[in-house]
Amino acid sequence: MKLYEYQAKEVFKEEGISIPNSVLIQDYDQLEDALNKVGVPCVVKSQVLSGGRGKAGLVVFTPTKELAKLEVKRLFDHELNIKNIMIEEAVNIKQEIYVAITVDPVLATGLLMVSIEGGVDIETLAVENPEKIIKEPIDLRYGLMPFQATKIAFDLGLPNEVAKELRNVILKLYKVFKKYDSELVEINPLFITTDNTIIAGDGKLMIDDNSMFRQSRFEKQEDDYKTEAEYDASLEGIPFIQFDGDIGLMCAGAGLTTTVYDLIHYEGGTIANYLEFGGPNYKKALKSMEICLKVPSKVILIVTFGTIARADVMAEGIVDAIKRLKPDRPIVTCIRGTNEQEAVKILKSAGLEPLFDTEEAVRKAVALAKGV
Amino acid sequence: MSIFIDKSTKVCVQGITGKEGSFWTKHMIDLGTNVVCGVTPGREGQEIEGIKVYNSMKKACDNHEIDASMLFVPPKLTKDAVMEALHSGIKKIVTIADGIPLHEMVLIRQAAKEHGAIVVGGNTSGVISPKLAMMGSFPHWIERVYKKGNIGVMTRSGSLTNEVTAMIVEAGYGVSTLIGIGGDPVPGTRFAEFLPLFEKDEETKAVVIIGELGGIMEEEAAEAIANGTFTKPLVAFLGGRTAPKGQKMGHAGAIVTGGKGSVEDKIKALNAVGALVAERPRMVGKLLEELGIPKE
Repeated sequence: MKLYEYQAKEVFKEEGISIPNSVLIQDYDQLEDALNKVGVPCVVKSQVLSGGRGKAGLVVFTPTKELAKLEVKRLFDHELNIKNIMIEEAVNIKQEIYVAITVDPVLATGLLMVSIEGGVDIETLAVENPEKIIKEPIDLRYGLMPFQATKIAFDLGLPNEVAKELRNVILKLYKVFKKYDSELVEINPLFITTDNTIIAGDGKLMIDDNSMFRQSRFEKQEDDYKTEAEYDASLEGIPFIQFDGDIGLMCAGAGLTTTVYDLIHYEGGTIANYLEFGGPNYKKALKSMEICLKVPSKVILIVTFGTIARADVMAEGIVDAIKRLKPDRPIVTCIRGTNEQEAVKILKSAGLEPLFDTEEAVRKAVALAKGV
Repeated sequence: MSIFIDKSTKVCVQGITGKEGSFWTKHMIDLGTNVVCGVTPGREGQEIEGIKVYNSMKKACDNHEIDASMLFVPPKLTKDAVMEALHSGIKKIVTIADGIPLHEMVLIRQAAKEHGAIVVGGNTSGVISPKLAMMGSFPHWIERVYKKGNIGVMTRSGSLTNEVTAMIVEAGYGVSTLIGIGGDPVPGTRFAEFLPLFEKDEETKAVVIIGELGGIMEEEAAEAIANGTFTKPLVAFLGGRTAPKGQKMGHAGAIVTGGKGSVEDKIKALNAVGALVAERPRMVGKLLEELGIPKE
């Protein structure tokens, strides 16, 4: 689960990492108050989960109140349906640093990454100047040792007092990484101010989805989802993504669903939604179809090839879902795997014409979507 | 021949008395797997499918010779169960658990390396050598998928593996050993780490990798070919060619991040060392034919 900047900064602040003064507003009417508290110049920051906010015009530096008002108005009217805007004090910056902690799947360690060239797109830096990113593996049994943070802070060539402060920030960031079962914690940019203090200019915190059972503090809100169908799917724990094409996918198995997604594109079709009801969700055919029917698709394509997710159980679920929901659009099925012969019988007895070959099923769905 | 598991491998089942554990233990035995004992704390004295159950791995090891441990243990308890197996000296461990916390998976992989052991999974169906033995949850009786043959298969997926393997069989081939390394971002063992085992296995004439967007495991396999660790023909099928950037497509590991992990990059890396990449599952069998791999 990816947190918003304001949530990540709230966590940073609790662990003792300095952040700029700011006020979070949900409404244009709250702006005047916020500007009085924060002052100008300030930075107007849309709270959205996508990256590259600066380039997209979603984070804007505003030297005057008038400009801040114009920008806030524009952003609240934005098609992204922005709920929260952070009005943040503009800091006097001397230097911008990059700091992040993630895991290294090959070494089986945590991984601290620091660069003296923060602020820029770190992915670009990684490609163009990889030597400018210092990497330090972290043994997760012992955690990040102070000597490691010290070494890196001094290696950057910063003045002693700044290096010592940076070391402390890095150690605090590691605490966040551990405490919140993070896939990634990142501060980019980390400001060194003209009076040599260190302040987090941005905050990224991604909590590992498999650890959410012990991370109850942050829960997803309906507002975090683009559509009602996405929210419903998330409540059920069903992986789902909505697009704006014609064919609704209701498949089982992440890899198989992704492959069907590719095959539809190869055949010239478009995707209305990606829904994956395999693994622990294989008995949720009814809920899955209910979600698929909330999406304006022209046809629903069901492809499975399950092992534990038995074909006969899924076929029964699908037949039951069709009886109850009476879908207003054609359904193409291709159900294989454990007890597949039984599954075919169940589907046929309900009047469906089950297919047995993925590519054939994909072609049929594409043809139906095109009205052929 | 096969790798990792055959009829002689003595297997212990941790979590043998659970619903999944007892169900799949039966199927493992039906296929021919040499299951010698099981472990579930508090259930010592019971038998499952005629297999003795012990309270701990220590007790199991005191009473049986064990080569490998199969875990049917929930994700939250997996780290403990793996550690117990490692501390009992077990060198081959398979965990099918889906949902192991990321930081715990890092510790599991690290511990496995230190003990010189192989941990396969989680988030996988396990390992199967068709007609011989399996550790995991495969419907081995579906012959159009689990046919014995000379192709080694490694995969990050479950259902997609059935799809692709059915196409390998449709083309007239079969499988020597199939290894599900799992769909998590930090699997216990990676594609490239199994390639030396397939290289040594005389029966395996070619390896098929079923990969997807995200991570760098397919690139590591290409590196193993480049440095001569693996010299047999390799064919890959990769899901997610048309996936949108920055979007997780199902598996936690399947996301393009940091400018790394796109299917394009993987194809480039594999093609550069002479490995072939199939555009569709059905093409996998055709490419094996084109490479002149014998059908036995």
